[in-house]
Amino acid sequence: MKLRALLAGCAAFLMLTGCAASGAEETERTFFAMDTVMQVRVFGDGGEEAVQAVCDEVQRLESLLSRTQPESDITRLNQSADGGTWVALDGETAEVLDMALRYGEETGGAFDVTIAPVMDAWGFGTSEEEYRVPDGTELAALLPLVDSGLLTLDRENSSAWLETAGMEVDLGGIAKGYAADRAKAVLEEAGITSALLNLGSSTVGLVGGKPDGSPWRIAVRDPADESASLGTLALTDCSVSTSGGYERYFEADGVIYHHILDPETGYPAEKGLLSVTVVTDDGSRADAWSTALYVMGAEEALSFWRQSGDFECILCRSDGTVQVTEGLEEAFTAEEDGNGYTFEIVRR
Amino acid sequence: MATPLRSSAADRTRPTVWDGLVVLVILLLAGALFAALLPKETGGSLTLLVTLDGEEIGRYDLDEAAEGTLVTIEAPYPMTIELSPRGVRVAETACPHGDCAAAGWIDRAGEQIVCLPNRLILSLEGEETTDIDVVIG
Repeated sequence: MKLRALLAGCAAFLMLTGCAASGAEETERTFFAMDTVMQVRVFGDGGEEAVQAVCDEVQRLESLLSRTQPESDITRLNQSADGGTWVALDGETAEVLDMALRYGEETGGAFDVTIAPVMDAWGFGTSEEEYRVPDGTELAALLPLVDSGLLTLDRENSSAWLETAGMEVDLGGIAKGYAADRAKAVLEEAGITSALLNLGSSTVGLVGGKPDGSPWRIAVRDPADESASLGTLALTDCSVSTSGGYERYFEADGVIYHHILDPETGYPAEKGLLSVTVVTDDGSRADAWSTALYVMGAEEALSFWRQSGDFECILCRSDGTVQVTEGLEEAFTAEEDGNGYTFEIVRR
Repeated sequence: MATPLRSSAADRTRPTVWDGLVVLVILLLAGALFAALLPKETGGSLTLLVTLDGEEIGRYDLDEAAEGTLVTIEAPYPMTIELSPRGVRVAETACPHGDCAAAGWIDRAGEQIVCLPNRLILSLEGEETTDIDVVIG
């Protein structure tokens, strides 16, 4: 009898460990939206419906916020520039525009959604355009159109107007982050407690932690080497956004021009940063802040971080220093060999 | 009154050779199941998966690809990819930006090259294990 009891025990143990090795059920979907490729991974029951709900939500937002879709709110707003009339918007479009304007003010203009005419001049507007270097005269003529002060929003009546002909709004610097926030909300409403949203590799949304309760592990890309990383962040339930010149650039006459344009000059921002990664609870803020901090440069970015107190960041500087703000000290682990970078923790 | 059926094993106090064999068979089966469910160990074999607008249009075992194999992809902006046992790259493309060609070679499981204008993704799949859930940047 003892042998039979042992046999039953062995079988039960092996069956249990076998089940544990299979883990929680994962549902994954990769799709194109917002001029990028997105991936959603959901763990647990009801994954198919939840993933579909995320795709639907992102596409719904794109149909409102894109400036390349002919019927979107933003396209109608841009087409009516200088028309002198208010353009009626969906309440949610007005909400995102309101956020964008506030972020513009808070960052002293480093984040500006009216930069579209200058982006187009460089060919960074959409993936269908060709890159080119606009001359100084062309940029000087376009810069007066880059001014969020000339975008007036009536939040109560959900309407807006652009004051000058030729002005255009592009929400590319905030839309993916906002989509991450909405997608997280959709998943939480569906009862999902573990999910990973990769909205175009520069915006990541985290719902809870991994199915086993441990944090998600996010490698921060080394700007100098696509297949290497600066280190790893171990995080749960937050949003992460990275802006780096290496994400989109071209070379002309031996000079590299990247896509993060300084609204003040119209040229690619060159303030001594190679990449900026922002971690915060709010995806739209993470998205806008990463762009704005890149435009500001390290000193101004850290001063902004000290004043704000609602986000953390990693600044990879062109002098080979990687500055990690103190709130990420526990979460961030640098690559063992450092990849030639010097790491420092920045304190308030 | 009929005599109730009674297994001869019920009177035994010690296990027999047959009991031992049953234990062995179940342990072997359980072991095979456990091994099948374990995560795969690191391996060098790479498979290239090509998807166009969400549809799989090609799958290549890179171990069997000769160095410098060129494959033409019929996409909205035609492109040529180069296969090697080490990885894959976009050798030529007619897409506006050419970002996919500028990305160079990818050579590790989990890496991707994306051509947005074509809605095309080149993904490397393999048995390599990693503790990273996502790369940002």
